[in-house]
Amino acid sequence: MYHQEAESTLPPYRILDLTEGGCMLGGRLLADLGADVIMIEPPGGSPSRTGPHYKNVVDPEKSLFWWAYNANKRGITLDIARAEGRKLFKDLVRKSDAVLESFEPGYLDHLKLGYPDLGRIKPDIILTSITPFGQNGPKAHYQASDLTVWASGAYLYACGNPDRAPTWISFPQAGLFGGAEGAIGTMTAIWHRNNTGEGQHVDVSMQESALSPNLNILQMWDVSGVEFHRLGGALYVPSTGVQQPIYFECRDGYVMILVQGGNEPFISSSARLVKWMAEEGMAPEWLVRLNWTLDYDATTMGQPIADRVGEAVERFTLTRTKAELYEEGAIKRQILIAPVSNTKDISENLQLKSRDYWEKLDHADLDDAVVYCGPFIRMSETPLKYQRRAPLIGEHNDEIYGEELGISREKLDSLKEKRII
Amino acid sequence: MNGNVFDGLKVAEFAWVIVGPATSRYLAEHGATVVKIESHKRLDTMRGTSPFANNKPTVDSSMAYGRHNPNKYSVSIDLQHPNGKKLAWKLIHWADIVTESFSPGTMEKWGLGYEDVRKLRPDIIYLSSSMQGRGGPHSSYAGYGMNAVNLCGFTEVSGWRDKRPAAPHGAYTDYINARFNALALVAALDYRRRTGKGQWIEQSQFETSLHFFAPPLMDYQINGRIMGRDGNRYPQAAPHGVFPCQGNDNWIAIAVLNEEQWRNFCQAIGQPHLAGRKEYATLPQRKKNEDELEKLVGDWTRCLTPEEAEKLLQKAGVPSHIVAKPKDVYEDIQLRERHYFVPIEHPVMGRQSYEPQSSFILSKTPRRIKRPSPCLGEHNEFVFKNLLGMTDEEIAGHIADGSITTELPGQFKVSM
Repeated sequence: MYHQEAESTLPPYRILDLTEGGCMLGGRLLADLGADVIMIEPPGGSPSRTGPHYKNVVDPEKSLFWWAYNANKRGITLDIARAEGRKLFKDLVRKSDAVLESFEPGYLDHLKLGYPDLGRIKPDIILTSITPFGQNGPKAHYQASDLTVWASGAYLYACGNPDRAPTWISFPQAGLFGGAEGAIGTMTAIWHRNNTGEGQHVDVSMQESALSPNLNILQMWDVSGVEFHRLGGALYVPSTGVQQPIYFECRDGYVMILVQGGNEPFISSSARLVKWMAEEGMAPEWLVRLNWTLDYDATTMGQPIADRVGEAVERFTLTRTKAELYEEGAIKRQILIAPVSNTKDISENLQLKSRDYWEKLDHADLDDAVVYCGPFIRMSETPLKYQRRAPLIGEHNDEIYGEELGISREKLDSLKEKRII
Repeated sequence: MNGNVFDGLKVAEFAWVIVGPATSRYLAEHGATVVKIESHKRLDTMRGTSPFANNKPTVDSSMAYGRHNPNKYSVSIDLQHPNGKKLAWKLIHWADIVTESFSPGTMEKWGLGYEDVRKLRPDIIYLSSSMQGRGGPHSSYAGYGMNAVNLCGFTEVSGWRDKRPAAPHGAYTDYINARFNALALVAALDYRRRTGKGQWIEQSQFETSLHFFAPPLMDYQINGRIMGRDGNRYPQAAPHGVFPCQGNDNWIAIAVLNEEQWRNFCQAIGQPHLAGRKEYATLPQRKKNEDELEKLVGDWTRCLTPEEAEKLLQKAGVPSHIVAKPKDVYEDIQLRERHYFVPIEHPVMGRQSYEPQSSFILSKTPRRIKRPSPCLGEHNEFVFKNLLGMTDEEIAGHIADGSITTELPGQFKVSM
């Protein structure tokens, strides 16, 4: 492990994390920065201990989803719905800076653990609530899932093939956006508290973050009255309606090549592609003669030339692999090519290896070390640290309840028996 | 009224296009002063990106640029000009935070890289964001958001099994990266407040984005499984998908996450007997018979508008939402309640709706959009005179020698 001796970006702010699903990312990011994040699960374990599983063994202790988003946190179990559990929770809140949660709006209020209640116990507490639509308003109590929230942000509508239903990204994203927003909101509130001594309630809406990736398509409607039509990857030129193909099949999958003209850097990139094709004897005469400035200008060209160019390029890409097209085409020849990477390609990627991206964390209980995504960003003075794997169910109960709250052994046993912890 | 969280915080934004500008918006919406360093000689790509207000493409009328830059000030400087560099240094001396998103080596070439800046401003927080980071064989790889979505694996897992992948639209990962950056900046501020020390935050957008794809990567590295695409299906739910409704290209998203919701769903579609059918009785059964199940759901949704279907399903407690089109979000009752769209008068574009970048509302210090996106160089006088204390003569000198740019070198050209 590297840089373990360096300081952390954050002091050990105590964060209680009650979130589920992708929202768990928020606490993970704060923990990476140095906060002391305690994951609180219901007795028996969180429903977010889902698949895929380590070596395909279906076991809540082997959930890769759980591992990915709870590394660097400690973990305890607690039933906050029962009186004794609530009391323990309040004891924890007294020693905490912030609480993160993703329950349905009103659930914590119903348990008398809402923002006003927590504020009475600890006046400068920060409560960060991450929900599909926010705490108030006509959709606050909508039944929702990652997919339906994604749908509410219009970005789903923009993705997928034109002749079928719009499609999401098969690994759910809305909860992760919510988690990341929760982390920024919490840090913003901590900065404010450090300046003023004042805590507050941070109200995250996943719908709003699902609107974020829309680039300019909302404004296309609002400003120009233009409706966006999804194209499943082609490049659509609004002024002419022309679709320029930019995804091409190759020997082991697909690549994107920004085959475009009109402007730089596209003209030069496309010319370099044709030169390469010609060297390999795969550029038809008309393509070699094509003037990328005049004949392939998105604002004046027609569909037939786009289709013709697309077919010629694909005949070439079919003779090569993603890696060949990327290494020789993009890196050596400076053509605007990107591989459509799968999880294997990413895992074997040279750049990530060269920057020492991947981190290994010890899972002593499994007698194994597991590879994780590396630091989410590089910080020169305070490099992010990978200190511990995600907690087992109730792994730190003794440490936190016993050593920190000073609860006796007998009392802990009795709480366990009653399934409070 | 409470003050804003980041009142007094100063950001010099050399960053352009999307990632950097979206990052600083979190700070600007909560009180920071953000000055964009632009140039007539090297236009921010977004200024040439449609849509243009009143259908008049000019350097100041793109709402694609507008969307990513409200609340900020704009100055126009030629960074290749020695006197332009002097202005850049004045801004760096003024700032708490510097952001840049050029290809690695560009700021260094101009003598404005982190190592140069650190010598004079050891407390500066300096963010560099690039597609693949510094060092390594692919560092110089040309960075477009459209490339990154493929490189980072999101395209491969989007679309249908029997078709080629359907890339998520636009510059998807840019919107992931901005969030991680904003978090790192506030954390670095916290560190500086305690220690007085600044630092360099160096982002590879590739590395950052993978955190939105981490479990499938672990699944490959541990189990050897390569994730593919499967429409809108999801292993832990059925039915789970996007279903056709009445009208042209109208859809509803439905997710049945547990047995109670399945029973409610059967009630809602007027076929309570389905809940008792063996082939749909459990999640594994429904997954096994998912093709027929989806046909059955589609037969029901096809007879309704998306709004009708959503209403019936929500009433029954089934997760569902219309697949909103751009026009729908402007009428969305929930977004209205949260004042998501903020109408502001822009000097060239007229009244425009701006969106917040923060998807959160702080109860005591809420996000605010107070000013429209800036025209190019609109705040040269305000920034150089009021913020930096320069005299009129000094500013006039910079205009005369071209280090403050005032005119496009050629005709304005639309890029997209």
